[in-house]
Amino acid sequence: MTTTPAPARAALAAVIPYAIELVGVTKRYSTVTALSDISLEIEPAEFVVLLGPSGCGKSTLLKIIAGLEDSTGGEVYINGKLANYLRPKERDVAMVFQNYALYPHMTVETNLGFPLKMRGGKKDVVAREVASVAALLELTDQLKRYPEQLSGGQRQRVALGRAIIRDPVAFLMDEPLSNLDALLRVQMRSELLKLHRRVGKTTIYVTHDQVEAMTMADRIVVLKGGVIQQVGSTHEVYSRPANTFVATFVGSPQMNLFAGRVEGTVGERRFSGAVSLPLDSNWPSLPSDTSVTLGVRPEDIELLPPDTTDAATGTVELVEDVGAEDYVSVAINGQTCIVRTSSHQAAEEGETVGLRFPPDSLHLFDADRMRIERS
Amino acid sequence: MFHSMGPGRWSPAERATAYVLLIALSLVLIVPFYFVVATSLRNSTALFEYPPKLIPDPLYFGNFERLLFHSEFPHWMLNTLFVATTVAALKVFIDSLAGYAFAKIDFRGRNGLFILMIAMLMVPFGAILIPLYKIARDLGITNTYLALILPPLANPLGIFLMRQFIVGLPKDLENAARLDGVSEFGIYWRIILPLVKPGLVVLAVIVFTEQYVSFLWPLVSVSDKSLTVMTVGVAGMRSFGGTNYGLWSAAAVMALVPITLLFFPLQRQFLARSISGALKQ
Repeated sequence: MTTTPAPARAALAAVIPYAIELVGVTKRYSTVTALSDISLEIEPAEFVVLLGPSGCGKSTLLKIIAGLEDSTGGEVYINGKLANYLRPKERDVAMVFQNYALYPHMTVETNLGFPLKMRGGKKDVVAREVASVAALLELTDQLKRYPEQLSGGQRQRVALGRAIIRDPVAFLMDEPLSNLDALLRVQMRSELLKLHRRVGKTTIYVTHDQVEAMTMADRIVVLKGGVIQQVGSTHEVYSRPANTFVATFVGSPQMNLFAGRVEGTVGERRFSGAVSLPLDSNWPSLPSDTSVTLGVRPEDIELLPPDTTDAATGTVELVEDVGAEDYVSVAINGQTCIVRTSSHQAAEEGETVGLRFPPDSLHLFDADRMRIERS
Repeated sequence: MFHSMGPGRWSPAERATAYVLLIALSLVLIVPFYFVVATSLRNSTALFEYPPKLIPDPLYFGNFERLLFHSEFPHWMLNTLFVATTVAALKVFIDSLAGYAFAKIDFRGRNGLFILMIAMLMVPFGAILIPLYKIARDLGITNTYLALILPPLANPLGIFLMRQFIVGLPKDLENAARLDGVSEFGIYWRIILPLVKPGLVVLAVIVFTEQYVSFLWPLVSVSDKSLTVMTVGVAGMRSFGGTNYGLWSAAAVMALVPITLLFFPLQRQFLARSISGALKQ
């Protein structure tokens, strides 16, 4: 989704409201702050993924949007209307739960039609809608069955169908694929994405799986400890992580980080830690002896013969063959650094190798572990 | 005592021991019952024959005739069935509603109230018999059906039972229903109740049986002959029929009829339900 610059979009919001807008949403339990000051605007038809480790508050945020939990502060706007005081059923959002939450005592047909029936839908209208949603999700043959008679993937589709049938402002999905086995998860992921393209509904999708987030999202919101760490497209989050948390949480294998400090004088500055590297002039002028963290993605590191000039030297600890590529773990001065290489047998365990860190692909983080931008 | 692997793995000796034990145990249960049935089919002189016959000869149905056509027994039975059914129906409704509240609604003082309720389970009925009678008398409900129906409703066992059934249901089911536009009562009625059906049946059977055999409270709270329940009536037959053990036994046998009719179909229902895993998602 293209993002309109903030001031322009604010003016536009009066005409085309954001599907969902969060302003300073905070959730405090007696001693714990689950969410602090979450502000976020979500465009109509946008697919936003809330990504973070368990306990980061992402599901709580979803429940606050749905009205299943109250926030302790801040405002939730749905389709431009303040929703804080609306009951869940008045919010016009539909939720897909991690364990599907299908009504076990109802058939697929009744499950699908239930939201319409509860909203006073006429019998023939409900039947027509159920038939069309069932067709969309290929559930027509399953209509008379009970949830316990369905496979995981089918249950998942019924849960989706129950959300779609209401034609809400937004879908809220709480780790909807996490109960499926790996193969089915990948398949459902692409089905879900195709469905999103077809239905074109605003979707907020919660996951702790960064691959899911990266493949599906128009925008990723990375959360940790109830605080937004970064909001951006997959590319932005991956290539310009806002801090070391995002740097390591997004990407697999994760970014290699080296603690160290800046040394030397202007023009001749180096990073010195487990590895020692020259820092080019594109970095802002950091005073000597500044504590920094150096980050480099495993695929950016070049594996070289041990005696190459300007290369760090290390010992190969482990080679993991994952099919298309190898993950090579190299010990450099007591720290393990992972290199991702597409050439097999580039290194053998126990062998000494040289590593080069291309200057363009280095990331630097300051003492607060926040990103330092290159000029 | 035996391998835990199931009968298939037992040696012949183990199997034989098992059968002997099980048969002995069944005899302990069946023999007294058999004697009640046999006694009900003898006339009063045949009762004291020596040597006693295992099978009554001739079969005598006079006890049943007298019980059903020349005593108040049918009326007592109707009273008992009315009271037990009403109490069971109300209990199932009240206890499932309260159980839902304790299991799913977060209100202030919930845990304290729940513990208090559990504590009530430990008070023996004898301890509250007299105060309960005083309350009933002050309310002016002694010698009415209300006296038989209201007090048993306060028994907290059912609330505890229903809470345990409901607490296991996933929170997401209610949340899904909430988003689907179901009211709070609707969640209880349309989502929770159908899912705890086995629990409702168990509770109904427990409460019904309890009321069916309840003796002390009906004896104390009701003296009006038209309200006499079966237990009290049968006990009173001592004066009514002298020590006619044949008649007594016939009453005991007849008392089993309704409860048997109720239990067998329901037993099938709740066994089947719990096996099919209606609670599983």
